[in-house]
Amino acid sequence: MSTVFQFSSSASLEMLTGKKAFDIEGLLHLIKTCSESSIFYHTFSAFMKMREVQLPYNSDFAIWVYRSLNEKALAEKLMVIDFSEYNNVERLRNRLIAIIEDYVRQNPLCRKKIGDDPFYLYDVRRVVYLTDKFAYDLASFRDAIAKISIYSLYYHFIESRLHTQLELDDFSSWIEESLGLSDLAQKIRKIDISVYTLEGLRSRVIQVIEEYL
Amino acid sequence: MTTPTLFDYREAVGPDIIEELTILASHVGNRSIKMVNSTAVGGGVAEMLRRVVPLLNEMGIQTAWDVIEGDEEFFEITKRFHNALQGQEDDFQKEVFEAYLANNEKNNKTDFDEDLVIVHDPQPAALIHWHQKRKNRWVWRCHIDLSNPNPRLWEFLKPYIEKYDAVVFSSALFSPQLAIPQYRFYPAIDPLDDKNRDLEDVYVEEIFAKYEVPRDKPIVTQISRYDPWKDPVGVVRAFKMARKYVDCRLLLVGDKAADDPESEKILAEVREEAGNDPDIHILLFNPSTATEINAFQRGSDLILQKSIREGFALTVAEALWKRRAVIGGAAGGIPAQIIDGYTGLLVHSVEGAGLGIRRLLNHPDFARELGENGRQRVMDEFLITKSLKRYLLLLLGLDRPMGQTIFLR
Repeated sequence: MSTVFQFSSSASLEMLTGKKAFDIEGLLHLIKTCSESSIFYHTFSAFMKMREVQLPYNSDFAIWVYRSLNEKALAEKLMVIDFSEYNNVERLRNRLIAIIEDYVRQNPLCRKKIGDDPFYLYDVRRVVYLTDKFAYDLASFRDAIAKISIYSLYYHFIESRLHTQLELDDFSSWIEESLGLSDLAQKIRKIDISVYTLEGLRSRVIQVIEEYL
Repeated sequence: MTTPTLFDYREAVGPDIIEELTILASHVGNRSIKMVNSTAVGGGVAEMLRRVVPLLNEMGIQTAWDVIEGDEEFFEITKRFHNALQGQEDDFQKEVFEAYLANNEKNNKTDFDEDLVIVHDPQPAALIHWHQKRKNRWVWRCHIDLSNPNPRLWEFLKPYIEKYDAVVFSSALFSPQLAIPQYRFYPAIDPLDDKNRDLEDVYVEEIFAKYEVPRDKPIVTQISRYDPWKDPVGVVRAFKMARKYVDCRLLLVGDKAADDPESEKILAEVREEAGNDPDIHILLFNPSTATEINAFQRGSDLILQKSIREGFALTVAEALWKRRAVIGGAAGGIPAQIIDGYTGLLVHSVEGAGLGIRRLLNHPDFARELGENGRQRVMDEFLITKSLKRYLLLLLGLDRPMGQTIFLR
């Protein structure tokens, strides 16, 4: 018997920390010392902040390294981090640090570069709340996906991983556990979030479900 | 026009946004806010409060709005404060600070027992001094650029600011180091006010005809005060560079502050640079009419905001909301609104602006795409509904510990 899926949503209030980086060492210091929510915010909020922007800008760290520091190879390395491999923020932080330190070792001259603009470190206060949207089965789930706000989509597909410390998105978990559709759940997990905007992600989830139906 | 209700925004911003605001407001519950500023009419802060206060009340948040009083001397002082906080040199004497404090004390006469008191800008900032044993929360909302304040003034004002529970700035660029939490609230435009609401094409036609600006070729427009930081002379030069390659008209629309010798000087320079060019139209208002400005933006093919130094420049958001392609100078809040190549073009020089005009007028599909993306960016970040959401989040976070996600059940 399936359980009802009640969609949640989230909203964030951006906080200014007053901290900024002007070069790669400064960025590294911020990544090492900032809060977990800062790491998560700068890694994934680009989905929200620039949803009209297509690839490759899916992380604030990568965007700054690419645009302001003009270290394109490092930006690419930061952009392809597969976050499904990191089930908590500390592991993600360590991965970011390892990539940057490795790059700096191999390209010591990049230490001397000063960014065109500083990197401003933000933190965030996050509020999660239930919406009045429900799904009872796969068809109603598909219909709801088309109607929920992008904030709700962002929460279930990306942000909820921060709270649950799971590698999985909420959607595929519910489809597997509650509807017993493991093969469909696997297909949803295979969706490459790095190459979609939020609206693109919405269309892709709907497409995968429709193909299944 | 009657004051719009929250429901009236559904069409402009989408029903899901209004639904989520309603849900958040229901979690806020029976809370109250007092807004305090220094003017009831005129200026961006009063304009914003005029719309935000009734909407917060409609959502069940009891919101009051107090305007402080002051004589001419006080407002002369706070005008100096405003300029000096944005970096202007000024040699403040002790008496000036005393007069400022005396006026704040005089205004400390009403109750301030709402759950959240939001004090806007420096004029009433010292009110906090008389509420240090408060049980409620006080937030200072700073709408100006504090990144490079006059040191003497900042030394005086900072201890008052740090008595607040938190500060709100419009941009990370504007914020100094402080010992209290800082939030970022982008300023916002109202999609339903006269400056931004949809207009009939025939009205737009009428306005261009009224001011004798033919629409026989693409129109490139900058709407800004005649102020050196808005670089209107640079705009004329950029236009002339571009017109060697693309046939177009330039429309400069600006308000002129009464008895402002600086703007007279700039206007004279603009006129000299423009010469007798029949394709350059220089309009001067005192003051302009919101619907006419709206019409100028809607009837233009391309909007420039070629500022060298800026506050937040919400004129960019206004143009983007109307799906206009915008070329903006990389200053102040403009880069937050224009993601170069996605929601507009960011430029750093007259030459860059000239090239941008050529590029966008020769590639109308690209210009349209920038305009569409720009509207989405404004929808996401720079609308009044987003401001409301931020105020609700601020209320929700008031009594909860920092650093933890707030789950509302």
